[in-house]
Amino acid sequence: MRRLFILLLVAAALTTGCTPRPGGRIVYGLTLAPSGIDPHINASSELGIPLTSVYDTLIYQDPKTGEFVSGLAQKWEVSEDGRVYTFHLRRGVKFHDGTPFNAEAVRFNLERITSPDLASQKARFMLGPYERTEVVDEYTVRIVLKEPFAPLLDSLSQVYLAMASPAAVQKWGSEYQLHQVGTGPFVFVEYVPGDHLLLRRNPDYAWGPPVYQHRTAQLEEVEFRFFTDPATRSPALESGEADVMGEIPPQDAARLQGSSDFRIEAVAIPGVSLMLFMNTARPPLDDLLVRQALLFGTDRQAIISTVFRGTSPVACGPLAAITFGYNPMVCEFYPYNPGQAAMLLEQAGWKDTDGDGVRDKDGQPLALDLYLMGWGYMPEVGQLIADQWARLGIRVNSQVVSYPEALKIAQEGRHHLMPFNLSGSDPDILRKFFHSQAGFNWAKVNDPEMDGWLEEAARVSDRNRRADLYSQVQTRVMESALVIPIRDYVNLNGVNNRVQGLRFDARGWFPWLIDVTLAR
Amino acid sequence: MFVGRHEAQRSAISFVVRHKAQRSAVSMGGAQHLSYPMLGYTFRRLLGAVLVLWLAATLAFGAMQLTPGDPAQTLLAASGASPEEVARRRTQLGLDDPLPVQYARYLADLARGDLGVSWLHGRSVGRMILEQLPATAELALAATAFGALLGMALGLLAALYRETWVDALATGLAVLGLSTPVFWSGLLVILLFSLYLGWFPSAGSGDLRHLILPAATLGFALSGSVARLVRAQVIEVLRMPFVMAALARGLPLRRILLLHVLRPAVGPAVTVVALQLGFLLSGAVVTESVFARQGLGRLAVQAILWRDLPVVRGVVLVGALAYLLTSLLADLLQVWLDPRLR
Amino acid sequence: MRKSVERASRCPGRKVLERALCALAIPQLQAISPRRPLRHQPLAFSSLLWLAAIALGAALAPYLAPSGPTATDPSRALLPPGPGRWLGTDFLGRDVLARLLWGARWTLGMGAEALALAVGLGLPLGLAAGGTGGLRDVGLMRLVDAWLAFPGLLLAMAVVAILGPGLSSVAMAVGVAAAAPYARVVRATAREIRAQPYIDAARAVGAGPWRIILRHILPNAAPALVAFATTQLGWVLLNGAALNFLGIGVPPGTPEWGAMLAEGRAYLRDAPWAAISPGVALTLTVLAANILGDRLGEG
Repeated sequence: MRRLFILLLVAAALTTGCTPRPGGRIVYGLTLAPSGIDPHINASSELGIPLTSVYDTLIYQDPKTGEFVSGLAQKWEVSEDGRVYTFHLRRGVKFHDGTPFNAEAVRFNLERITSPDLASQKARFMLGPYERTEVVDEYTVRIVLKEPFAPLLDSLSQVYLAMASPAAVQKWGSEYQLHQVGTGPFVFVEYVPGDHLLLRRNPDYAWGPPVYQHRTAQLEEVEFRFFTDPATRSPALESGEADVMGEIPPQDAARLQGSSDFRIEAVAIPGVSLMLFMNTARPPLDDLLVRQALLFGTDRQAIISTVFRGTSPVACGPLAAITFGYNPMVCEFYPYNPGQAAMLLEQAGWKDTDGDGVRDKDGQPLALDLYLMGWGYMPEVGQLIADQWARLGIRVNSQVVSYPEALKIAQEGRHHLMPFNLSGSDPDILRKFFHSQAGFNWAKVNDPEMDGWLEEAARVSDRNRRADLYSQVQTRVMESALVIPIRDYVNLNGVNNRVQGLRFDARGWFPWLIDVTLAR
Repeated sequence: MFVGRHEAQRSAISFVVRHKAQRSAVSMGGAQHLSYPMLGYTFRRLLGAVLVLWLAATLAFGAMQLTPGDPAQTLLAASGASPEEVARRRTQLGLDDPLPVQYARYLADLARGDLGVSWLHGRSVGRMILEQLPATAELALAATAFGALLGMALGLLAALYRETWVDALATGLAVLGLSTPVFWSGLLVILLFSLYLGWFPSAGSGDLRHLILPAATLGFALSGSVARLVRAQVIEVLRMPFVMAALARGLPLRRILLLHVLRPAVGPAVTVVALQLGFLLSGAVVTESVFARQGLGRLAVQAILWRDLPVVRGVVLVGALAYLLTSLLADLLQVWLDPRLR
Repeated sequence: MRKSVERASRCPGRKVLERALCALAIPQLQAISPRRPLRHQPLAFSSLLWLAAIALGAALAPYLAPSGPTATDPSRALLPPGPGRWLGTDFLGRDVLARLLWGARWTLGMGAEALALAVGLGLPLGLAAGGTGGLRDVGLMRLVDAWLAFPGLLLAMAVVAILGPGLSSVAMAVGVAAAAPYARVVRATAREIRAQPYIDAARAVGAGPWRIILRHILPNAAPALVAFATTQLGWVLLNGAALNFLGIGVPPGTPEWGAMLAEGRAYLRDAPWAAISPGVALTLTVLAANILGDRLGEG
């Protein structure tokens, strides 16, 4: 065993050219003070950035191929009917507190997540129609579902369903999130909410997934700090107070790219692109012609180059191009064409009869209510769109609202347009937006055929069949002009050049810190 | 500087005469207040404090009830939870109970000192507040100290050099403090002192070096009203006969200023600062965000944006408690600073 | 003139807090020399000129501004000041001068609305409490204390949420938050005036409490109350902008100065002019209002 390790080391040294210098410490800038960081309870994507390195998951997803590879589970089988997943666990794995990892630990974790008392905000729902977990033997565990659920493997590869030490969970109770214990390459040292979170290298780590390049972490310590104000992120990076900083504003990214000390690592995030949902139930947007006119009349390239400084791709459809199941055909729809937009509006009966610059029909002006949330450049995008449409004779009343208000407005259908984006690596995310019963059905779509496709795609495990179904959904969404896609989300990470080997998982948000090294 | 000394003297004398007359009028009008024994005063003040706490708690409860948005839906929407699951969570949070029941339960918990569990964080609100309180208190105290010192210096300068360019400059600076938003001055300060000069860190909390920039930024905003008040107070005190008397006795001007002029002028400044506690917490919300500090302000903003009612109520109560304590402290401090009030 | 000097020394509230408040409300610039005409007071005169200038700019914005306040042009984004764009352009290519001129309307409107609400709520409350005394006074003041204990910005956030989005909601929210300190100042001033002998005289001849408040207290308190209201103008404008910074607030693209400042700060290093212009305008306006408030208080 020891000899093998040395051999591996030599091999690693040969392939990388020089022995990486272990040790060192970096400060990693997070962009939100997370709302609680227990991955089983809380839902923020910020928590996954540090905790992906504290925990291991049963399986991992290779971001290059999209294939699932072994993690804490060495191999797994899915039953014919897609309801029973059997996992064969790796032996010899220990939590940071010394608790052995086994089938009972898996059962404990999944029961914890699904217990109503825990009031999970995300993890519970990633398990879909979960029924129970059975311990077959010490190292074999079975997850039984009420019905087939194709996204389960994707869910199990995420930190929200990570394996926590049962002993630590029982010991700390509701304060567990300040004392988390996993099996990962870094040990959770301390978390002072809102101030910092500290991780230290786990020297005993020896069960990393094949997607990790190193056997143990190369850094000694990683400290996380919270930079909620976007304008201060770049200054903190440039003054050396942080070595890695997420979500650098595009205008600062442009400046950093020209520097010799820093670089921008732009990571595309899979999921639902930033897009404006058009409320098809509220006139005048119940008219397909008007919705299509809005699509033709939106100069997305101008938005990308102005607000995002060209750092994000233009979105063509509801799924970001990097997402599994993306259908490139959606880019054929609706190129920018204000002439076409004007023509469609005329065709729909909207003409400026009173000469006030705003089109009208039956005495009603063409005025649309746009509700935006104050984050993610939505206000900036909204302003440009409002001005672009003003030139087509459309008046836009835009308002900034908080997230709970936005949900309420959408539920009551008081909006014409409302933007949103959500990250997620499985295209099942489309079901949250375009199924007639979906919580985010902000387009108020009711298309039984599309409901059927989405439901089937959530059940079948054949990847090709799923991709076909999602392609159909994307085409239908664009044909029915339900949304105006704006941009695919890209996380602009500012990185000090002394930090090397920074890579991200398939979600795009979560770094694999084990492989990060410091340049000499 | 003392161009109008003659005139000042006259007005100071006439002031004393009127002051005495007025005092007797006051003591006539306020006799029944003054006759209360100290114990009664303490009791009434305590009762008032409980009343204020109850009102603040009720205000927070009511305001959050009126705020649109369903907390359960807010927590679960992005997870794709079904409407039934959202409804179940709502029941679990006790939001389906009639309002009077929710209110009674809330007051009962409060009476037992239980602030509840955060819906968003899933942790005890009391613990969360205790974690954030020291950082906020540290920032508030440092900002107050800085603001009070700067404000007093500006106010004193403006009063001594009244109606000259020094006055204009000092008053101008004070108003600049009043009219510059912290989110803006904070960023300027970070760019200048942290990025270009590299003197202080821009982010985080911990040692003194981390405190300097945020405290100075927030303190500058605070100094404006202190400076305006100190200026008025000093002008008033300068007119007092004892200042004339001290001058006549040949005491050095510096000593007079420190002992006789500044000391009584500080008291009101302190109370204004105490009154500004709400402002301070508001300013802290922004300051914490700009300087990447932990603190109650950020906790509260997040709680309001997420409809995390237990946290909102908890922070408001702590704010009310702090407000009551500071106004008590300010009253005591002022009596200590200005012997005339004893 | 004398009268105001007396007032400065006569803030007799039993609580030190109230006394300090009352003193704060007293005009600051008490020149010992007799009152000079406005045109011989350069600071006050230029303040008046500045306020007149922005009022004129707001009124004539459609004629003076080189373009509309929301007309974007991505090809002209972030251009420095130069011929034809005297204050430069912002990140959407909008003319900063045009936004500044048009923005005076929104800014002054918002400030006026917020102050009207602060005075409208705070004045009756403070008068009722300070002008009558007794149990009513205690009850009302505890309410105001609870209100004050709610940090202003958080209260404003809650009020915006309750009222729904929009410029007017933001104005009302900061107005409601500013009303509590105003009520306190009104009460302190009213109590001070109530202690005057002529009030006792009025009461002796049978004047009712409300008659005393309206006929005697209010007119005597007016200058001090006007002075304090002007110092609050800065607060309401800044906190309206702080709401924007926190991600709720005035509708996007509104050329209100505080909102421009909040938006422009992201581009501070690339295009400082986009934020400096509204910042300077805001500061000068608050300064002018403060100085004029002082002078009004003296009268």
